[in-house]
Amino acid sequence: MLFAFAVLATAADWVPARWNSADPKLLELVAQTPVNCLLVERQNWSAGFSQEAARARVATLGVVRPGDDLKELPERAKAAGLAGIVFEGAFEEAALGLARAALKDSRLAAVELGPRTRIRWDGDDPVIGTHQGVWPGINATDDDGKAKAAPSGAPWIDTNTGFLRFARSLAKGEVWIGNVPPKGSVIPVARYLQAIGDAAIVGARWVVALDADFEKRLLEREEAAIKDWKRIGDHLRFFEEHKEWRTFEPFAQLAIVQDVDSGGLISGGILDMITVKHTPVRPVPGRKLDDGKMAGSKMAVNVDPAALPDSQKEVLRRFTRGGGTLLTAPPGWRFPPQRANQITLDKEDIEKLDTIWKEVNSMTGRRNLGARLFNVASMLSNLSGPAAGKPLVLQLVNYSDYPVENITAHVIGNFTKAQLLEPGAPPRKVNVYENEEGTGIEIDKVSSLAAVVLE
Amino acid sequence: MHIPGMSRRELLAAMIAAPVVAAGKLPTDAVAVAKCPSYDEDQVALLGQMFGQLGGLGRLVKNKTVTVKVNLTGSPALKFQGKPLGVTHYTHPKQIGALAHLMDKAGAKRVRFVESAWATAGPLEEYMLDSGWNVRQLKSAATSVEFVNTNGAGDSKKYVKFAVPGGGWVFPSYHLNKVYDETDVFVSLAKLKDHATCGVTLAMKNIFGITPAAIYGDDAGEHEPNEAPTKGRVNTCHFGKRQPASIAAPEKDPASSREPGHRMPRITAELAAARPIHISIVDGIETVTGGEGPWIRGLKYVQPGVMIVGTNPVTTDTVSTAIMGYNPRDLKGQGVFARCDNTLLLAEQLGVGSADLKQIEVRGVKIADAMFRFAG
Repeated sequence: MLFAFAVLATAADWVPARWNSADPKLLELVAQTPVNCLLVERQNWSAGFSQEAARARVATLGVVRPGDDLKELPERAKAAGLAGIVFEGAFEEAALGLARAALKDSRLAAVELGPRTRIRWDGDDPVIGTHQGVWPGINATDDDGKAKAAPSGAPWIDTNTGFLRFARSLAKGEVWIGNVPPKGSVIPVARYLQAIGDAAIVGARWVVALDADFEKRLLEREEAAIKDWKRIGDHLRFFEEHKEWRTFEPFAQLAIVQDVDSGGLISGGILDMITVKHTPVRPVPGRKLDDGKMAGSKMAVNVDPAALPDSQKEVLRRFTRGGGTLLTAPPGWRFPPQRANQITLDKEDIEKLDTIWKEVNSMTGRRNLGARLFNVASMLSNLSGPAAGKPLVLQLVNYSDYPVENITAHVIGNFTKAQLLEPGAPPRKVNVYENEEGTGIEIDKVSSLAAVVLE
Repeated sequence: MHIPGMSRRELLAAMIAAPVVAAGKLPTDAVAVAKCPSYDEDQVALLGQMFGQLGGLGRLVKNKTVTVKVNLTGSPALKFQGKPLGVTHYTHPKQIGALAHLMDKAGAKRVRFVESAWATAGPLEEYMLDSGWNVRQLKSAATSVEFVNTNGAGDSKKYVKFAVPGGGWVFPSYHLNKVYDETDVFVSLAKLKDHATCGVTLAMKNIFGITPAAIYGDDAGEHEPNEAPTKGRVNTCHFGKRQPASIAAPEKDPASSREPGHRMPRITAELAAARPIHISIVDGIETVTGGEGPWIRGLKYVQPGVMIVGTNPVTTDTVSTAIMGYNPRDLKGQGVFARCDNTLLLAEQLGVGSADLKQIEVRGVKIADAMFRFAG
């Protein structure tokens, strides 16, 4: 009980992973990583395991799903030594409410990983999240599922970053995304590193989930699996060692005003389209729109003008009177309604969105709205900084199977030094020079994840 | 006379349109061949030695404005097996630096590197940065180095008409960015590659990329150029599905074959005749076989370790084709030209140069010693 309370107090610092074993000896593998919170399936709920985990300062959370018996949940959780319960999936609201109330009375933590559309944005949960996510990576197929064969532009990157950027801008607490590897797949370790980075560069946490083959080999302590597990640990540690980055704000002169009904919950929407172009962007949830949120922006896109009350429309009018450029969706245009389990856009929806995307593209053009990056077609990035302005941190995730060499960034502002930080490697000095946009930086090579700290 | 794959009507049209130059009167400029195992070798020394074998660079470029067409085909986002673009299907940046340095040393007044970059009319420097090149370093390689994206009119806001000698087959003339007119010495800095449409892509095929997408692009205006193109030139040039913007000459015969294997070799030869190439450099140090870029299936990274330089694009391409293990005089339906006309022979018909190996002096390494069979 005392232990559970202590864990609850640090829920914001939980580094979660799904764990399919009740063998306490295997906790040694967890100890090699920053993972300090295990999501345990019902068949593995075990007091012995939880006690050993607690000794290793690892919290155990029991996973329940719709259809599971929620009666006497606190009692069963306590009997298994769990620190709390993860509700994964779309529960019936009343049953979920009752179960959560019971857990609260028992001082057990509750984490909901439900559909994106049911995230409790206005609640007090220290952690919010969803189980719905795309599996991050380069999408090398065309609409017919065939490999792309044309000398055309950058490959599309499947990513949750757009949704997570929005979620971070709206959520009070930490944001988890609990997507799992595609069923039946065997995932190379590089893809796990991408999944970690995909969430972490925008301040969220991916709930580590291994494919069945990897998990089996790891739990059998196969050497190659342990080596890959260590790399996963290094990459998680990289972000946990720089927790302050999670508190940073986007360093961006482009604001996207949207909310849950205008694409904020969608992957592959406007935010992702912009970030694939490496244009720094600041999501501003419509419900939070005020003069302060627009400060520092020079351009803005109002995705759903009709949804804003007059007072907030006035905020945008003040923005334009102050010299800002505002792009609003065409009259009568509405973001395609999101279906219950929908997290990406249909082809038809993309065509609708294209109307506004072309305008955004034309408005932003080659303008530097925080930073412009070059030779980053297989990467996504996030530029952010503290309220004081410096240092800026440019985080990069490489989604290709190969290291990317010779990356250039042109960042607004004057910076005199920069360091490249990478998981499991000593910091490296980065070449910095003045240019007409502010500061140029040259990064020689990025393998999986990297961050450039500009001072 | 019968050329496989060419109808009698097309053959007649070709013979009427293009003056067939007697073989003895065709330029037969010598070609230098050298071995070079990798880009880590001294590229300045390599190219310097090869220009020396051709009589020296100074006589060609001193006090001249030199325009170098590089090969940056396809989007820089498309890398083959994650390798740097310069070792697969793009010009290698070290060769650009070396060439700029040598041109400068030889007294060139100005050196411009040009390309009609894929689907953009933005600054070429930014396209090069997107290709992973260090533009600052390249700019410092010589006293006056410029980079110009010729996909649109650019700063000059003007296009210049280049007529095809003899009237051409597909287009009678081409409208090009003004820099191609402000050129005393035109250099094609190409890559030694197979080509899905033209069989091979060498010095001549490289300059297909001088055509501006603003006029010849798939999203060009019907009448006026689109100075912000976002597409390639496939519908206009390869397939002839549409005409270029009407400020440029339309096709001579819209009823002619729409087959890319018919059209592209002709367009390439026309361009080589309309905008003569003075120096041809074909880089086969590291490259790919099986096609011109990663969008072609079956591509393979190879290290032929060879460089070919000449002062005539047809003779240079002829020697290059032979080094690739192909017969430069194969007709349509034969060898590497199985599905297309032979650009070398078409350029020969336009009087650009000789595609007859027997007429071409090879200096440096012999063809047999440099040969790397692209067909495997």
